[in-house]
Amino acid sequence: MIGVQIHMVSKIKQLSLGVLLAMSVTAAQAEIRFNGFASIQAGNTLSSSDRLYGYDNEVDFKNESLFALQAQADLGDRLSVTAQLMGRGANDFNAEFEWAYLTYELNSQTRINAGRLRTPFYRYSDFMDVGYAYDWARVPSSVYNLDFNNLEGISLVRFGQLGEVDSTLQLILGSYSGTTAITPAPADANIERIAGATWELVQGNFSARVAYLTGKLTLVDQDGELSGLLSLLEQSGFAATANQIRIDDASSAFMGLALGYDNGSLVLSGEVVRARVKNTVIPSQNGYYLSAGYRIDSFTPFVSFEQRDNDGKAEIYQALAAENPFRPAVTTVVESFTTKRDTWNIGSRYDFHPSAALKVQFSSQKDKVADRRDQLLTVGIDLVF
Amino acid sequence: MKKFLLASLALASSVCAADIAIIAHPATAEVSMEEVSRIYMGRAGSLMPVNLPENNPLRDQFEQEALGRSPAQMKAYWSRLVFTGKGRPPVEVDSVAAKIEFVAANPNSLGYIPASEVTDQVRVIATLAN
Repeated sequence: MIGVQIHMVSKIKQLSLGVLLAMSVTAAQAEIRFNGFASIQAGNTLSSSDRLYGYDNEVDFKNESLFALQAQADLGDRLSVTAQLMGRGANDFNAEFEWAYLTYELNSQTRINAGRLRTPFYRYSDFMDVGYAYDWARVPSSVYNLDFNNLEGISLVRFGQLGEVDSTLQLILGSYSGTTAITPAPADANIERIAGATWELVQGNFSARVAYLTGKLTLVDQDGELSGLLSLLEQSGFAATANQIRIDDASSAFMGLALGYDNGSLVLSGEVVRARVKNTVIPSQNGYYLSAGYRIDSFTPFVSFEQRDNDGKAEIYQALAAENPFRPAVTTVVESFTTKRDTWNIGSRYDFHPSAALKVQFSSQKDKVADRRDQLLTVGIDLVF
Repeated sequence: MKKFLLASLALASSVCAADIAIIAHPATAEVSMEEVSRIYMGRAGSLMPVNLPENNPLRDQFEQEALGRSPAQMKAYWSRLVFTGKGRPPVEVDSVAAKIEFVAANPNSLGYIPASEVTDQVRVIATLAN
């Protein structure tokens, strides 16, 4: 416990002062509860040229493995503080705070969380790292593909009933700063004024969820290649083209719809998402998945299909004359945003222990732009404790 | 298939499957089984649910009969809430005796015990017959 606190202090720069103060008060006088989860996943692709989800043809135990420890302290009077420290194998298990927030329970049906939170884009956003909470080896990447997983802000969650239907409404406000990639170069990302709402309804075996979020997105490429091109375009009298590409304080919107059915044996789920970043090179982002599983005692075999379909905004380079010297460079940038991928997954979960599940999954992805197929087999264990 | 599984489950556990009494403090008003289920799933905060430890056969039986979920499904369900700031599982006590004591002492609490062990310290809200 002391070791954990020392580690927390070394990472504390990411925490707000309020959370920090609360933690130190808590350590002195309140009981701290610890929970955790872990995934140990091994994978390798089926042939030497296949690459998928960070795996290649060498067996890799690190890429998708992760460990997380959550500490939660009740401060009394309906106030509590929670911090979740996570180390991802892909990041050399360097621990970082994925979540760190204060919770105030307004009443038994309403709670307010403030601090570092998960941005609730998707049905499984909140627990996408908790492999034990779902049957797949990983959440479908064709849908779960935004890099902006977390935000700093405030969220209100309200549970309620509408007749027979259980309702969970979440409102969220905040901002994000971090890194992402402008295909394929790394970029600094900022999203200001994130505002969103999600609404989940459950009746018996059926569930439905809608999400709508907006924000102002700014992306700046770290290597300066894209920024350089934009400057050149402007200096050469093609400011209009530069403005169609630049991602600066761009109005962005995200929409998601998820449906689920679970009668204890048959487990069906599907989710469709669309994201738009207005007046930039980023085209409409479209993805969906469908998944079906069947529980037989401790086994849950499943099959799922995912699709990603983003069309680069060809009108940006088509507006330039064929002999325009910038046209090839602009075309390359625009087309780097074209993504067309189909993925099939088949696998099974096996609940072999009260706190652990074994998963085997085979994934086959067809990249229709690069015209290649990559196949991957992963075996993993997910734990909660 | 499901019926067959349930039937074989019932057969396998018939040795220990007892009637379960849902109990509350004597001052508690009527609570429907639907509400009991909601409370134990963390979806309604009207009463404070009291659980037995993991791997306790009575808890497994209660969760299967009243909530329709296996222990692994319950664990997955709670892991979705615990790690996301959306809720926390019911408090746990070590034994049926401790549970009766807890419910008798806390006007807003709710529990389940073998029907054969009901005392006059608590009120029986419903019985899950086997």
